[in-house]
Amino acid sequence: MKGLLRKTLCVLAGAMLLLGGVSVHADETPEKVTVIYGGSSWLGHYPAWVGIEKGLFQKHGLGVLFQNFYASSGRMGSLVAGDLDVASTGSISAIALMAAGSKGFMAFATPDSYATVEGIIANENIKTIADLKGKRIAAPFASSAHVLVLDILEQHGLDPEKDLTLLNLKVNEMPAAMGSGEIDACAAWTPHFNKLLNMPGNHLLVDDTEFSLYKKYKLGPGPDLLVVRKEFAQKYPNTCKAFVKGYFEAVDMLINDPEESAKVLVKLTNLSMEDQMTVLQDISWIPGQEQRALMVDPGDFVTGMQQLAEFLVKHKQIDNAPAVNEWIEESMVP
Amino acid sequence: MEINTPSKSLAVSIVSLVIFITTWELICRLGFIEPLFLPAPSQILSRAVKMIENGQLISHTLASTRRVMVGFFVSSMVAIPFGIFLGSSRFFMAVFDPIISLLRPLPSMSWIPLSLLWLGITETQKYSIVFMGSFAPSLLYIIEATKSIDPLLIRAARNLGASKLDVMKEVILPGSLPQIIAGLKVMLGIAWTCIISAELVAAREGLGFMIMNGKEYFQTDTVLLGMVMISITVMVIDVVFRKFERRLLPWTR
Repeated sequence: MKGLLRKTLCVLAGAMLLLGGVSVHADETPEKVTVIYGGSSWLGHYPAWVGIEKGLFQKHGLGVLFQNFYASSGRMGSLVAGDLDVASTGSISAIALMAAGSKGFMAFATPDSYATVEGIIANENIKTIADLKGKRIAAPFASSAHVLVLDILEQHGLDPEKDLTLLNLKVNEMPAAMGSGEIDACAAWTPHFNKLLNMPGNHLLVDDTEFSLYKKYKLGPGPDLLVVRKEFAQKYPNTCKAFVKGYFEAVDMLINDPEESAKVLVKLTNLSMEDQMTVLQDISWIPGQEQRALMVDPGDFVTGMQQLAEFLVKHKQIDNAPAVNEWIEESMVP
Repeated sequence: MEINTPSKSLAVSIVSLVIFITTWELICRLGFIEPLFLPAPSQILSRAVKMIENGQLISHTLASTRRVMVGFFVSSMVAIPFGIFLGSSRFFMAVFDPIISLLRPLPSMSWIPLSLLWLGITETQKYSIVFMGSFAPSLLYIIEATKSIDPLLIRAARNLGASKLDVMKEVILPGSLPQIIAGLKVMLGIAWTCIISAELVAAREGLGFMIMNGKEYFQTDTVLLGMVMISITVMVIDVVFRKFERRLLPWTR
């Protein structure tokens, strides 16, 4: 059934591409005209969405199919299982998959740097981090928000096992739990982050700029990473190049024309135009020409990722820290 | 080969298990399957040792056992009298049959949204998932067990002057109890299948939590260890249940 759906989508994308009429230089013609992209409503997927909606991939002879996944782990699992070709993922899942020894994927870029779009939101009784002692705080385990909570608690000398109750809760279940008073605080990311903040009585306790690696390296708790299935990259190099071109043109559009981008993004995020513009203001998009400095030899971002891997080992989230630079596909870094 | 003694049967089972595990280990060691998709038994064992050492395996197992046993116990305590009552009354069976038929096919996971609204993210919510997952099937087993009593026996008892209560105590209960116990044994296994749903939301320990958290970190060995622990725990509880059954029903030995 899944295979049939995928084939149907591919045929549709191919047909759309032919009808759209494309002009691609002969020697750079993509070997495969469809790319299946794994995304969600998280900001790390904005460029792919804008690229699709604004026809930027189509301009390079590609039809990109946007497949929604709730969590990065599901997306990464599908990527290595061969159901996706390219995806953007939170680094935690990518590092966990590296630590598990999977060589089925490679990383090639980081699209954004963000701050203040993720954080810990608390009810009115909690004024400081120290007030969390003895309280119930929720975070989706194995996510950037979870890492942020562990780090903030450590910075303030609180033990998540002894000093408070840390619960595993999905971000979309948090508003109800906060509303009913079952939890006193929670860690979430946009767009749920904004929704939680807008609830009466809630306030921002701390955001991702307080994350220890952000203070040192400007690296958030779960920076976004663009990944490609290794077999796909080897088999279809021109397709990958075309994807990268279209993707970073979308990044340029997000930088130069955020309002036009926001108009198509609200379809993905269901935020109001005003909230969408606020989220966009908090993101620093990283254009193609800056990627090599971040990703290669070894690159500032890769160095930061390595630190994050070691942080995860320290907090007993993964068994060993993988050598992140072994998963970088230099040929795809713009 | 003829298997005519329990020891021979046990020997065959052990040999079959050893062959299965050895083949699995070899397939993984020879690199036919990536460890991410299927870790070797030795890798699972090594994860088990690590988690026993830090106490996590025991605490996850105990947390899940508590949730299953509480949910299952409450479910049985409601289902046994109610099932016997419905099994002995055609009128009330007709009244409740449509409701039971509506509840019976619902998977435990479908109760998560409602249970969260009604009970929040508490332990009671987790017990309720096990309760709802095992109640309707248990009830049906008990109704069927009660109905299976030969009506001739009931009529004979009545003719000999037994009251309704006497018939219940002396005929229906002893007659249906072996089947009820057999049904509950099956239902206990089904109650364990609800643990993943029960620990999907707001859990921080338990085998279901361990499996789902292992999945998030691509620790397939942890996922498989959680599955193995569920099977082992069910087997241990089954042995205890059988001993209890022998004591309760000495005439069935």
